[in-house]
Amino acid sequence: MIITEINSNGKEQKMNKKAYYGEYGGQFVSESLMNTLQEIDEAFEEAIKDPEFIKTYHYYLKQYVGRETPLYLAERLTEKYGTKIYLKREDLNHTGAHKINNVIGQVLLAKRMGKKKIIAETGAGQHGVAAATGAALFNMECTVYMGKEDVKRQALNVMRMEMLGAKVVSVESGSNTLKDATNEAIRTWAKTAEDTFYIIGSAIGPYPYPKMVKEFQAVISREAKKQHYEAEGKLPDVVMACVGGGSNSIGMFADFIDEPGVELIGVEAAGKGIDTNEHAASMAKGRPGVLHGTRSYLLQDDDGNIQLAHSISAGLDYPGVGPEHAYLHDTGRAKYVPITDTEAMDALMELTRLEGIIPAIESAHAVAYALKKAKEMTMDQSMIICLSGRGDKDVNTISDYLAGKGYLN
Amino acid sequence: MSLNRIEKKMEELKAQNKKAVITYITAGLPNMDATKEIIKAQEGNTSVIELGIPFSDPIADGPVIQQASYEAIQAGASLKKTFALMEGLRKEGSEQPILFMMYYNTIVNYGINAFVKKCNEAGVDGLIVPDLPFEEQDDLLKALEQNDATILIQLVSPVSKNRIPGILEKARGFVYCVWAMGVTGQSGSFHREIIDYLSSVKNISKIPVMMGFGIRDAKDVEPMKDIIDGVIVGSHFINLLREAGFNPAAAKEYTAKLSKEIN
Repeated sequence: MIITEINSNGKEQKMNKKAYYGEYGGQFVSESLMNTLQEIDEAFEEAIKDPEFIKTYHYYLKQYVGRETPLYLAERLTEKYGTKIYLKREDLNHTGAHKINNVIGQVLLAKRMGKKKIIAETGAGQHGVAAATGAALFNMECTVYMGKEDVKRQALNVMRMEMLGAKVVSVESGSNTLKDATNEAIRTWAKTAEDTFYIIGSAIGPYPYPKMVKEFQAVISREAKKQHYEAEGKLPDVVMACVGGGSNSIGMFADFIDEPGVELIGVEAAGKGIDTNEHAASMAKGRPGVLHGTRSYLLQDDDGNIQLAHSISAGLDYPGVGPEHAYLHDTGRAKYVPITDTEAMDALMELTRLEGIIPAIESAHAVAYALKKAKEMTMDQSMIICLSGRGDKDVNTISDYLAGKGYLN
Repeated sequence: MSLNRIEKKMEELKAQNKKAVITYITAGLPNMDATKEIIKAQEGNTSVIELGIPFSDPIADGPVIQQASYEAIQAGASLKKTFALMEGLRKEGSEQPILFMMYYNTIVNYGINAFVKKCNEAGVDGLIVPDLPFEEQDDLLKALEQNDATILIQLVSPVSKNRIPGILEKARGFVYCVWAMGVTGQSGSFHREIIDYLSSVKNISKIPVMMGFGIRDAKDVEPMKDIIDGVIVGSHFINLLREAGFNPAAAKEYTAKLSKEIN
């Protein structure tokens, strides 16, 4: 969705409307990054029109990442819930989630631009692991910024990144989590942009990042659309994905946005409930504001300071959301709904026991809403859930949760 | 267009052939009363005071100002309280040029028009918004154009290059040159093209050119003192105030010395 506005004089407005999705998006960064963003924008637009670049990108997606991923008809869920439930198996990608799709695209772009180093932010560590993997594959120096709290909580992913040759910087400022890691990555980038490419993992950040992330994640919906046609001979009725910053969901929505018959649903993390202070539902409870280079919905207090998000899933634990999601929300093209920690964990167990698939807790949020939504659907209808990642990384969290809940006995 | 306090001060310095001293403090560190006394203590020495409005996610600031912001928020600082501080100062008759350095979300959250109106009324002479580059300034500039009481200060960096003429075309007050690339207060080494960069800005600019980021004393700017019209001291000023227990006398002593040494 690129919007170019012409004002009453017939001149293009000075404001860079190309960078906007309705009133969301933009480039809210320090002056020292503006030329960098322009260089990236030009290089990106050129690259995605270059058949060689696209060929290389798809080569690595196929031979290295393991695409295409299956669109699996979840038989027992379908039987139990009374509508056709398809799972887009992004959990089967190399490194265990959709994050690698975008990393391959951005690393190839970084190389094309002659950059020698990459930096990335990470919360749970999935994007950090994907970035470190891409750096190892393409022989680039990689530094990953991670909040001190997350370094403690996700020790296994820290070790994976270090094994892959990345340097993990533990960020001690503010809340010591993803938002602060992102701040530090942006600060470093502002000083080192000449030789360093910043790989943003979510559909956030200054333009053209939201567009790049969408472009490199759109492979999810392109495949799913084709696969669903092959299986059902029609479009799905509903497409669903979890939303933190919004990368797997924008990829899952991308090819369906212009199909008005397909209902798009994004599932936000409601943590302990959207009426408590512990949730990450920026669309349900936030207000538009500016953070990390973009204007979108944000959890913020009366003074405009950013509030801490909470979710049992580290990947959804972010106080903002990508600008295109804000636009899809306001225009009504997509619907955004909250799912609590408890609902997500119940769905995680349901999927595990019925289908033999342990999903990431992030993805379990989408599954949870799908099971609610299925009640109003019939066997003639179908839905696709983006199963964005696998649950291996979450075993400690799941185990703690289940111990508290007594599930295992 | 009438001159506001910052612009009058720039004219005055030019007439006296003097260089400007600009200091940065975080509003509400350690509390609003102390901030007020630190401002007043600089009367006569500091040309323009930058009052930082603390924000939860200060992406353009280095560790010293990040920590200062964090502590100020913990101590209850806010934009509203800083407006009250400004109103108090102006009521007492202070004519010191004072600007707010703040992040754009704080403005958006207050409401752009309401914010500008409040700045005009409270005697806030200027704004520096480090995450609001030229292309994104239309909404704020439109609100500021209603009168001359509050102006937007433009920032340029060594990598701005071809952007500089556009940024400076309608710039008012002074131009803020970032000299170490990126964030405030971390680098002790000069950017390799610093002299060329400052000269090129100076050649284009119709208004005074100030150098900021990472400056501690007059020695730091000795090599470029013939090019620039003044200096901005941020992180170092916070550090020295902290060491002095935020005693206003330390602010007075330091700014008197700096003002003397660069002139």
